[in-house]
Amino acid sequence: MTMEFFVWLESTAIANAIRTIPWLYPAFETGHYIGLSLLVGGIMLIDLRVLGFARSLPLKGMIGLLPFVWAGFVINVLTGSMLFIYGATGFGPNGAFQLKMLFLVLAGLNALAFDLAVRRSGGEWVAADRPPALVKGFATLSLGFWLCVVTTGRWMAYL
Amino acid sequence: MAFLEWLQGTWVGVMVAESLWGYPLFETIHTIGMAMLVGSLGLINLRVLGYKPDLPLLGTRQLLPLAWLGFTLNAISGSLLFSSDAVYFFNSWTFRIKMVLIVLGGINAALLGQRVFRDAAASTVPAPPSVGTKWIAATSLAFWLAAVCAGRLIAYTP
Repeated sequence: MTMEFFVWLESTAIANAIRTIPWLYPAFETGHYIGLSLLVGGIMLIDLRVLGFARSLPLKGMIGLLPFVWAGFVINVLTGSMLFIYGATGFGPNGAFQLKMLFLVLAGLNALAFDLAVRRSGGEWVAADRPPALVKGFATLSLGFWLCVVTTGRWMAYL
Repeated sequence: MAFLEWLQGTWVGVMVAESLWGYPLFETIHTIGMAMLVGSLGLINLRVLGYKPDLPLLGTRQLLPLAWLGFTLNAISGSLLFSSDAVYFFNSWTFRIKMVLIVLGGINAALLGQRVFRDAAASTVPAPPSVGTKWIAATSLAFWLAAVCAGRLIAYTP
């Protein structure tokens, strides 16, 4: 059932285009790396700031880097989908890919929890630059989950 | 050439090339180091260009340790990856272009550090970055993004 869906994905016009236009796959992969730099680079800066790194940069301003993170996320969902459609029957059953998706969901849920904590507190700790222990926990988990996403993504080619 | 052949024959080169975990491990470290380096230098460059004025310009100096950590991780992991197939990488034009871009990016980072963090910090009232300084920041962004692209494309190009 799932495999049939993967086979169908590989027969779509998008997959055919990526197969026939030689520079398209490397272009999407390169785009995926630019998106990764924005997404993981941005998240890392925000998380590290929450944990006390670079204190001369106001916490509020650093949380304001989220649009960059979102831009990177959107770029990588789009480019990642293209790469997946091209190689669905290979990527779908790949253990490293499945783990990557799991870590992606965990990172997403963690980000929602982080966002909720900011809203609940009314953002008072943001202005006061005193992130509660719970929020520091979310920031630590976020760093861990995103590093796992990168690691499992990179390992897909070897499993 | 003799040096490159010697390098990829050393136990380090063979270990990275042939062990199950060597190549993927150093590739993973290279990717994480890239995010650190490009993320932190990117933010400094964008701040010099006037983005996020609520972040104090001189305060972005505190991002430099992260940039250096990323650079060090990538110099080490990159050298190890290079040692696994030294003749191939050295002969790759895309790899050569990437090295030139990194040297240019490094020169720009040094110039920017001089102008923004040393000269501006020395004056009592730090002036906003000059047009020249902004040019350095803009080209620096371009060099590092191009280095990322070139690195990704080594596998696909001569």
